[in-house]
Amino acid sequence: MTPHFAERAGVRTFIHEGPSLAPRLLDLEVPSCEELRIVLPLASNVAAGVLKALEGRRYGSAVGRILCGGAAHLSYHRMIVTDQPERPYDYGQPVVLDGYITFISGAITVGRDARGAPLLHCHAGFLDRNGEQHGGHLVLDKLIVGSEPLTIRLCLFDQVAYQVQPDAETHFNLLHPVLKELS
Amino acid sequence: MSVAVTEDSLVQDGRLGRLVIARLKPNEDLIDSAEALCKEHGIALAVVRGGVGSLIDGQLSYLGREGMIQIHVPGPGVEILSVSGEILSGASRLQAVVADADGKLYAGRLERGKNLTFITVELTLQEWLPD
Repeated sequence: MTPHFAERAGVRTFIHEGPSLAPRLLDLEVPSCEELRIVLPLASNVAAGVLKALEGRRYGSAVGRILCGGAAHLSYHRMIVTDQPERPYDYGQPVVLDGYITFISGAITVGRDARGAPLLHCHAGFLDRNGEQHGGHLVLDKLIVGSEPLTIRLCLFDQVAYQVQPDAETHFNLLHPVLKELS
Repeated sequence: MSVAVTEDSLVQDGRLGRLVIARLKPNEDLIDSAEALCKEHGIALAVVRGGVGSLIDGQLSYLGREGMIQIHVPGPGVEILSVSGEILSGASRLQAVVADADGKLYAGRLERGKNLTFITVELTLQEWLPD
């Protein structure tokens, strides 16, 4: 099937190349979570800092926000059109920024790769030194804290994880909620 | 601007309870999905704890002098940078910051039925349990 747009109740929908299978919402429940506040110092690498803060903790995955802070260097991706019918939209080449970068907002999922190692998924918005707006898929292992400390809040949960699995509908590898055995 | 107070504030003691960890597949509306998840898990009121993903197009709004003003964010591939707010069946109020494919930022109230998942949305909700 060729990917294309359709319409439902006046709103544009998108038909991906793969099969659209039910259920459309995948969900699991856990009884509670553990809260974590992480303040990363100037010049630190954000992925390394977050993973170090999580080291030794019992958790399946975590979700949270970038609360405030700045960056000296970052790399992010925006969605572009491709010529691949199975994946007609994908992330383009990285946009790299240096200098004084101020965070406006950001969301993080700490998932798991196929082997169970932590995997960071982050979208964020920020202003560069000229006041220009930027937002997209942020690569945390290329993000260096700058100007001021970066504060992140995470909600850690166990027994359930967001784990990467191939998605036949979109042809992306995506985070899915899965049950984890008690460790 | 000065407006007379006509109602008492609602102050609730309580705590956060269960988490619902979800993935929304393509073409699912953010607000409708959040309410469906709460209904399925027997949750009366929830807060958004996490939201990462993309939308086909974004439809936001804000209250202007002449009512709700619409902000259309053309996609596809409108990136969700943050979502916050409360889920209450039929009366949810969610706000979002999103970015278009040029990286330009937009913010506002999410309009029901008009913010459909493009590739995926990781959405995590947490129950509010008043004492």
